[in-house]
Amino acid sequence: MGTRRCRVALFTVAQWEEEAAWLRRQHQKGWRFTHLTAGIFYHFEACPPEDVVYQLDYQDRGAGEDYFQLFQDCGWEYVARFTQYYYFRKPAARMAPGEEGIFCDRASRLDMIRRVFLGRVFPLIPLLAGVFLPQMVLSAPKDWVVTGLFALVLAAYLVVFLQFARQYVRLLRQPGD
Amino acid sequence: MDAHIRKVYVPMTETGFHILLCLQTPRHGYGVREKVEALTGGALRLSPGTLYGTLSKMERDGLIRFVREEETRKLYVITDLGREVLQLEMDRIRRLYHTVKEVLSWEPAAAE
Repeated sequence: MGTRRCRVALFTVAQWEEEAAWLRRQHQKGWRFTHLTAGIFYHFEACPPEDVVYQLDYQDRGAGEDYFQLFQDCGWEYVARFTQYYYFRKPAARMAPGEEGIFCDRASRLDMIRRVFLGRVFPLIPLLAGVFLPQMVLSAPKDWVVTGLFALVLAAYLVVFLQFARQYVRLLRQPGD
Repeated sequence: MDAHIRKVYVPMTETGFHILLCLQTPRHGYGVREKVEALTGGALRLSPGTLYGTLSKMERDGLIRFVREEETRKLYVITDLGREVLQLEMDRIRRLYHTVKEVLSWEPAAAE
């Protein structure tokens, strides 16, 4: 049991690739990721610096033993889970030429985006449009603090929507398989 | 065949095609990956996220079915519907090959 540390980092639900790249950089500096708490506290423990690729998967139907076995068979170490996000890692030295991560074609990458969007963002649209937005408009003349808070939440979700849209478009522009 | 199935699986992705092709005999995900890598001489290496997602989808759509579990690995095999879909894709590939051959008088390089 080595030294441990904790870092706060903010990655939206659309930024799992940035999150994976950040975890890789930490491991290169000698800190390997152990687990995540409350969505923003990343826990690490000291380790020999190594170039290790991290990948996130999203499974909303629950993951059985066969899921973990398949990743293990393919050389990916299961690190942690946070809600429906599963973290895996594999030393870069053990990746085959052309192997980028846990996805090897565009269709499955697009499917990941769809799963995350439908699981995390889409269910909130009725809440945002049906409650937050009207409330923001209604509280405008009376209570600017409440209006401001609602506007902030709505703006944050707009940013997440745009991030998803940008990722989706970027993927669609890539050649097929 | 369902219009939905046709829309989703015709034409097929290279990954999907190889997975379906290799499930003529019951295999688990990793077995499919090894078979595809051997068949394509290392050109196609299937990653676990893609494999798991594609297998789950194909099972839900009825192209493959669960056979049995071996330790912690699930074995799948192609269904009659899967064979139908695969045949459509093979017909498409054959058409492509003959079209190219005719237009460009093209012969593929001899396999090594």
